Amino acid sequence: MFGTVYTGFGYWDVTAWIVFFAIASGLTLWLRAQGRDDYKEGTDQDEIYWSGNPVPDDGAEISVPASSAYWGFRKAMEPFYKVLTGMHTGIGTDIVGFYVLTVAFMAVFILL
Amino acid sequence: MNWNDHLPALLLAVPLFGAFMAPIVCLFGKTLRNVLLIGISFVTMLVALLLWRNVLVGGIAVYVMGGESFNLTLPSGMALPIRIIMEVDAFSAFMVVCGSIASFAGALFSTNYMEKFSGIGRFVSLYFLLTLGMLGMMITGDFFNFFIFIEIASIASFGLVAFWRDKPEAVEAGLKYALVSQVGSMIFLIAAGSLYGKYNALNMAAIGSMLQFGVMEKLALVFIVGTLAMKCGSFPMHMWLPDAYAEAPSGVSCLLVAVSQASLYGLMRVCFSLYGINLGGSFIPWMIISMGLASMFFGVTMAVVQHEIKRLIGYHSVSQVGYMLLGLGVGLLVLTDARGMAEYGFTAMKGGIFHIFNYTMYKGLLFLAAGAIYYATGKRDLNEMGGLARRMPFTTAMFVIAAAAISGLPPFNGFVSKLLIYESVFAVHPALTVVALLTSVLTLASFVKVFQTAFLGPEKSVFTGVREVPSGMLFGMGVLTLAVLGATLFPSWTLSNLVEPAAKALVDQAGYIGAVMGGGL
Repeated sequence: MFGTVYTGFGYWDVTAWIVFFAIASGLTLWLRAQGRDDYKEGTDQDEIYWSGNPVPDDGAEISVPASSAYWGFRKAMEPFYKVLTGMHTGIGTDIVGFYVLTVAFMAVFILL
Repeated sequence: MNWNDHLPALLLAVPLFGAFMAPIVCLFGKTLRNVLLIGISFVTMLVALLLWRNVLVGGIAVYVMGGESFNLTLPSGMALPIRIIMEVDAFSAFMVVCGSIASFAGALFSTNYMEKFSGIGRFVSLYFLLTLGMLGMMITGDFFNFFIFIEIASIASFGLVAFWRDKPEAVEAGLKYALVSQVGSMIFLIAAGSLYGKYNALNMAAIGSMLQFGVMEKLALVFIVGTLAMKCGSFPMHMWLPDAYAEAPSGVSCLLVAVSQASLYGLMRVCFSLYGINLGGSFIPWMIISMGLASMFFGVTMAVVQHEIKRLIGYHSVSQVGYMLLGLGVGLLVLTDARGMAEYGFTAMKGGIFHIFNYTMYKGLLFLAAGAIYYATGKRDLNEMGGLARRMPFTTAMFVIAAAAISGLPPFNGFVSKLLIYESVFAVHPALTVVALLTSVLTLASFVKVFQTAFLGPEKSVFTGVREVPSGMLFGMGVLTLAVLGATLFPSWTLSNLVEPAAKALVDQAGYIGAVMGGGL
């Protein structure tokens, strides 16, 4: 039922993966259990460190917005994104235009 | 009367009955309306599963509409079939199962999701018409009939995408979809008319048995491939898709995922079963592979920079369609090369077809999870979200499963289908695998962003009143989660019973033609 999937070049066995995952989880939990034993829940040790400043009550003030994620990637790829987003005008005739151009391109090359 | 013989007709009759009953039943209150929505969707799914089982056991099911006998395709004295014929092989049956599960999940979800809105009678009618159009496209053996079902699905989609007509963005998205879809439909009709003009037949098997690859046939093929590639969201004709998916109610977005797969089905049916060995060279296979690669890469790069959750998932749809086009395109490339087909082509096709199932399930689930977030918070912008895992634990868990599956993380089903594609398309050219792997990495990056910004992080004060969504919505997501986990834990069973029979049926052009014409090629 679980079985092995052969790809022609390799294989995938979900049972083996689950067994491996269980062993790795057990090892991780064991390593975690070897940690410091002077940790006390509900004391100052639980406090968030906010560069020495008081932690704001509202999470909205300390969260990173999605628009800031991967800013380096976007900055590095700016010329690429300028072209790509430029294509996505959202104008109906442009959308139809891309369709007509693609069909015309295929029509020309299949007849050559 | 044996009901099993009439399953192809029932598959269309049940949602059609639901569509016409909806305006009447909705007059009698919310409970009856929900019973109709869930009941009809469930019965449709049941019929689809029975049809799939019948096809696996008994081979291709052929059903003649309006003829003297439902299984007589060529009455005495006739050289060509003239009735509308439904032809269900294992590939059609596989598609029908995927589509009906998505329809059922979307219906379950919509019972609670749509209750805040008016005009639900119209919603239920359009929902069933969309289901009907989708299923019709998947089982018809008639070219003109395929066009009719495209139109039924399209018109229902326009209404459903623009269902929130007080939102200008929804109306705009519906209008754009209508514009490009209608231009595409007309081009498709020209192709169907041209083939009819030359071969005096509309039945796909009949045309396939006579087809000669001339100038008209080449142009008809290009018109069909272009139109159906556009309708399944292939680059660079995908631009209607993120708008339409983002603005439609989430239950509808889930169903639209399956509807786009019906167009992909049509594309593959025409390429494999109608043209097949007469495809004439490798231009069209390479065109499909190229569209697949471009869809994967450009779709995912656009998704990475989105911050509106449904638009982000919409761009991932473009990217995921690319995997299927790549896998099936490689299969088409080696259709007449027995060695290539045996060595890697068939594996690529299995990967592509398995990905259709996986994509329909996890992408539907992602849209439903995005809808659940919108229902609970009223927000779609990821910049305004955060810390929702504490308030919505079930939605979070199901979102994580879907996100891991689409990102191709082992052991999830998305990993298995992608693995089949990676390893087989490598044999054509390593660059194909490199693009597919890069796409998968960017998909993971994109969903890490969504998970981190929506569900993790400190709780925002505006969300202190947020609660988990009602049970109907959770059950809707639960159906798709079970499908994802089922395909994850039992990949061999899924491949042996769902995917391989579908792939074998798709490459068996003679079998498809022979079921209607008797003699085959």
